[in-house]
Amino acid sequence: MKREHVLPTPEDTRALGAALAGIVRPGDLVVLVGPLGAGKTALTQGIGAALGVREPVTSPTFVIARVHRGGRLPLVHVDAYRLGGVADVDDLDLDASTAESVTVVEWGQGLVEQLADEHLEVRLDRRDDDVRTAVLVPHGPGWEQRLGDQP
Amino acid sequence: MTEPLVLGFETSCDETGVGLVRGRTLLSDALATSMAEHERFGGVVPEIASRAHLEAMVPTVHRALAEAGVQASDVDAVAVTAGPGLTGALLVGLAAAKAYALALDVPLYGVNHLAAHVAVDELQHGALEEPSMALLVSGGHSSLLLVPDLSRDVVSLGRTVDDAAGEAFDKVARVLGMPFPGGPPIDRAAREGDGSAIAFPRGLTGPRDAPYDFSFSGLKTAVARWVEARERAGEPVPVADVAASFQEAVADVLTAKAVRACRDHGVDHLVLGGGVAANSRLRALAEERCAAAGIVLRVPSPRLCTDNGAMVAALGSRLVAAGVAPSAPDLGADSSLPIDVVRP
Repeated sequence: MKREHVLPTPEDTRALGAALAGIVRPGDLVVLVGPLGAGKTALTQGIGAALGVREPVTSPTFVIARVHRGGRLPLVHVDAYRLGGVADVDDLDLDASTAESVTVVEWGQGLVEQLADEHLEVRLDRRDDDVRTAVLVPHGPGWEQRLGDQP
Repeated sequence: MTEPLVLGFETSCDETGVGLVRGRTLLSDALATSMAEHERFGGVVPEIASRAHLEAMVPTVHRALAEAGVQASDVDAVAVTAGPGLTGALLVGLAAAKAYALALDVPLYGVNHLAAHVAVDELQHGALEEPSMALLVSGGHSSLLLVPDLSRDVVSLGRTVDDAAGEAFDKVARVLGMPFPGGPPIDRAAREGDGSAIAFPRGLTGPRDAPYDFSFSGLKTAVARWVEARERAGEPVPVADVAASFQEAVADVLTAKAVRACRDHGVDHLVLGGGVAANSRLRALAEERCAAAGIVLRVPSPRLCTDNGAMVAALGSRLVAAGVAPSAPDLGADSSLPIDVVRP
């Protein structure tokens, strides 16, 4: 899978999410990094829709974490925006097992990486012309292999 | 015969609320908040909220009973928020409510947090007109509800497809360097500003968009972009104008959609609820537009708009009066309880 993506519209961001949904497995951790409005929720919406989860994916900021079921895998959508300090699994108030789900975390850099042995980091950004960009950064040999050699 | 006395528990987020209601009369509304404890961590931590609920629970119940001038043994029914909310936080309220119901040998009513936000208005403005429309806006919810019968039948017409309205306030406040929660400081700053100074986008208001759904993510991004552009150019940010224009965009969309929903469904009563209903511009614009459309607007006082135990007791009291059966003793917490389940 390509590592660098240019995403002119929110639909492109959702399409990248859909592509990621095609390669995720139970227990996966995906950490989304980027400023306000870079497309973190849109990307997660794309993952959720392609997994086939029942209800629409909306921002989980207020409830910190939301579990979406009914798809190929449960999607645990975490927003660490309001969390302080290092979060552990209990603090995230998860009512689903991360081992059976794909866990997507917004605003969690430096807080949640210990939830899994390895993880995929997605660096999202917003350019001045309002186009979003994404860079996929694998952490761990498994993710390196899954993304392949394409630059 | 006097009306039943209902004890209500609310623990869906960071407020421990215990209220007592007899019929539609508010007797007491005791509240403890764990906000100060969260401040040390820079945000709400669910585990800390749960622990704080646990510590605050019994003293808050005692305070509610003392303020109402009643004994625990006078209570005729117990009501408790079963969802939506933080699972761990809900569990503390549920455990307490079950314990009191069991110890006092009275029925237990699990209630939907959102429906309770509508029910609380009956404590101030009397019986709800049915059907009513309800617009609930808070840090976690933005919902437009058609309420044919608040005891049994609530229909979700629309909701946010991304961020809640209150969340947009929190995030814009952060962009403007204001404290959390963002609603009060933005409201204050906006009083000195011009709401028409900057034309921020109104989400989902196109002719083909879902007429009753909301989107505040694009607005939040537009504000962040506008402020960043100023900062990059080395220009001062007109905070009051940004706050007022942002607030105007939120209030405009919320009230326009609520009035449209009333008109489309032939409903002439609108209830506002949730923490964002405390926003002065939202209240003013809602009054103006409802008056123009011949809609009766009901807004509880700001104190009752935010989470509290009295709203849970108010809905419980309604359920008792309507003859709705109590919940099963194995009632559980449901973090994403759908709104059409008034009494889980």
